[in-house]
Amino acid sequence: MAEAGRSLKSFYLLLGGIAVVGIALILHAAFGGKAPPIVMAECGGPPLGGVAPRGVVEGADSAPVRIDEYADFECPACARFAVLTMPDVLQRLVPTGKLRWQFLDFPLSQHANSPLAHITAACGAAQGKFWEMSYAIYQHQDDWFADKDPEGKFLSYARAAGLDVDSLKACIAQRRPWPQIEANRCSGERLHVDGTPTFFVNGRALAGIPAYDDIARIVDSVAGARTAGARR
Amino acid sequence: MRHRMASAALALVGLMVSVYLLLYKLGVVGTLKCVGSGGCERVNTSPWSTIGGVPVAAFGVAGYLVLLGIAMYGLRPDQAGRPQATRWLAALSALGVLFSLYLLALELFVIHAVCVWCSVSGVTILAVFLVSAGALAGARRAPAP
Repeated sequence: MAEAGRSLKSFYLLLGGIAVVGIALILHAAFGGKAPPIVMAECGGPPLGGVAPRGVVEGADSAPVRIDEYADFECPACARFAVLTMPDVLQRLVPTGKLRWQFLDFPLSQHANSPLAHITAACGAAQGKFWEMSYAIYQHQDDWFADKDPEGKFLSYARAAGLDVDSLKACIAQRRPWPQIEANRCSGERLHVDGTPTFFVNGRALAGIPAYDDIARIVDSVAGARTAGARR
Repeated sequence: MRHRMASAALALVGLMVSVYLLLYKLGVVGTLKCVGSGGCERVNTSPWSTIGGVPVAAFGVAGYLVLLGIAMYGLRPDQAGRPQATRWLAALSALGVLFSLYLLALELFVIHAVCVWCSVSGVTILAVFLVSAGALAGARRAPAP
């Protein structure tokens, strides 16, 4: 009986050891060894860290119509615009040469996962796949916005979109594009952007969220007016 | 009794692995520590990582909890010499082995990526089965006097 008691005691010690080690490893995986936290800086004064705002651009610099979009990856209205309207803009309007589109980051402070989403998309841009990455992030917004750490999901979208996941991981871990994202956000603040998405057509704020037809009309009228002006 | 202790310890290991994979699936753990280049994430974000909307890892958590419970119940003094707990362990772990083989086949032939943590779980459930089935076979060869 005494031997059985000792054996049971050793067994419970073993069980406790497995539980303690397992829980410690899981806690470490969930909370430890993480990349540095993403901190949003106060805007104001000169551009942060000397980085000038520059978004992701599609279209020729010589295009008569320039639309700047300030958007947040965790904003539902931005997601609807990105999924329903943006593909048509990129496929049908930008190739006409009349439109230059610029996406500028504007992660809102109340959206906990937005900074990581912007970093992931910007890291995708470094591989020439910004639009693929941003579309995937927006498309699956409902799947990740409530997560504590959505990085794994972002990586799976990246893999499906054909990105080099290992280099994407390194870029995300080092927060490489964050200064640029901050510079873009602060440029929006200087323009008094207070919601997303916000659009500027040739520097003038556009009211509301345009549908594809609205954008096509704007492009035709502005480009047409420019052409007519040039003829005169 | 030793085989039930071994089964309980193995079930606890399997439970920890399943909890880890489930936390990843739920977005609590950002990335999986994995040998190789992303096989774990590829498998655990594939369409086969859920069944009816429920993460496969959740089935693992439930299964290992049941195995752990049975093994611990089998360690009660009044269960000594009774084969029921061992039979249940063998039967349920056999189902677990079949399910693990199905998942392994999906990894190898459909997803084309191997998840090391899933393999650890597969080896664990196989070990529970071998220990339990071995104990049953041993008991048959040497019936109690």
